[in-house]
Amino acid sequence: MAGWIITALLLAFSIYRVRNNEIKRKIPLIGIISALMIVCMTIPIIPPIYHINLSVIAGIILGPAVAFISIFIVDLIIAMFGHGGITVVGLNTVVIGTEAFIGFYLFQLFMALISRDSIMWSSGLAAVISLILSTSILIGVIYVSQINPEIVVGIEEEHPTEAENIGDIPNELVKGINIKSFAKTILILLGVGWIIEGIITAFVIKYVSRVRPDLILPERA
Amino acid sequence: MDVAIIDYYANHGKSFLHKAKAFWKIIFAALIIASIIITIEFYLLLGIYIALVTITIWTKLPVTKILIIAAYPAIFALIFALAMWNGSWLKAGVIILKALSAALTMVILIVTTPYPDVFNAIRPIVPKIIAEGLFVTYRSVFILLELTDDLIKGLKVRGGITRRKYISNVKNFSSGIGLLIVRGFDYSEKFYGVMNVRGYGGKISSENTKTGINRNDIIALIIGILIFAISLGAIIEKSFLKFSVYIFICSIIALVISSIYVQFNN
Repeated sequence: MAGWIITALLLAFSIYRVRNNEIKRKIPLIGIISALMIVCMTIPIIPPIYHINLSVIAGIILGPAVAFISIFIVDLIIAMFGHGGITVVGLNTVVIGTEAFIGFYLFQLFMALISRDSIMWSSGLAAVISLILSTSILIGVIYVSQINPEIVVGIEEEHPTEAENIGDIPNELVKGINIKSFAKTILILLGVGWIIEGIITAFVIKYVSRVRPDLILPERA
Repeated sequence: MDVAIIDYYANHGKSFLHKAKAFWKIIFAALIIASIIITIEFYLLLGIYIALVTITIWTKLPVTKILIIAAYPAIFALIFALAMWNGSWLKAGVIILKALSAALTMVILIVTTPYPDVFNAIRPIVPKIIAEGLFVTYRSVFILLELTDDLIKGLKVRGGITRRKYISNVKNFSSGIGLLIVRGFDYSEKFYGVMNVRGYGGKISSENTKTGINRNDIIALIIGILIFAISLGAIIEKSFLKFSVYIFICSIIALVISSIYVQFNN
């Protein structure tokens, strides 16, 4: 539920950001990038657990606000295909939207820091770092969602300082997930995928920048 | 994801669910999803899943194919169940069944309802840019699927994807995706131009959402309400859980009878 609420707020903000950017022109663009993300999701890299999702590419090309709208559409459609849960569309959008958001700003940063000629390195590094961060957020969200709020409230009343930091909450208060083994499983399964997706992102951005450079660095919302 | 097959099933089925209106089927799906969320008892969840398999049989579509399509989230549920493993098979089963049942509910909705109808039905509750984006995405998916198919065939025929040349395979495959992006943008420009000529003002989809109710809608609604009522009953009155095994047995009986009936009526 929290995922849906955060997504609704971020969507409202994203729509507010793009309102002046000729919204009717953006719709075909959103449609194409969303469709491309869905099509690429049908191509598994490590079957059946990892497929590319092009979120960082969407962020770099569309900009974070429009990419967030596009990612919400993708998540909603793939949930209808039975590819992701409808109840976790909100959470998925937040996690994948984070990839697009961080990917966009890291790409800009690396382009400024390294060199404008290093578009491959900038995009590849931005993709890998964004994927690592978004997975960390996912693990964090799952950890937090397993904490019994009633117990946390109880602690807060008795020991206000202990509840300030989630990391300080004793393991016995967590409803049952072994976060270490969960994180290990996820990191091992997805680690290889991040590197492959980073390489693919680098080559895709390099190709697009050669053929249509205007798509990589135009004015974005 | 078998996008084209799902679309074919939605447009060519003849079951009562295919004939029911999108609006009522969304209510039906929402009721079942709500019951899956509130149910934490293994046998009750298994009963709901079997009831959904029975409904899939009633759609007269290939059941195995649909169950496989809806099984994808089970992989992640399995990882989650392993991380939460405390020696209880029932607890792990609950996690996996929740993922399977929710996915199957959505797949039942989408294999019996053409996408434009679903998008039209949810149109009043989503922002305009999302509603229009859903329509354009749906339309673009099929065009890009065809382009991707041609691209992969082209790469294979010209030696772009060959065994043991992993780096060059990734490079060629990535260039292929880049090409799809460039072509996609060209297509979106043309699409925008054509729509402008036709007087496009930021609204593509029709607002024709019929919510009148017929016999098929009522059947779908009753099934949804029944499943939700059972789950709600188990939450309100804990002693009701004693009957969950019987509910499970009843769902098995319904599954067997439905299978025989559909088999002999096809």
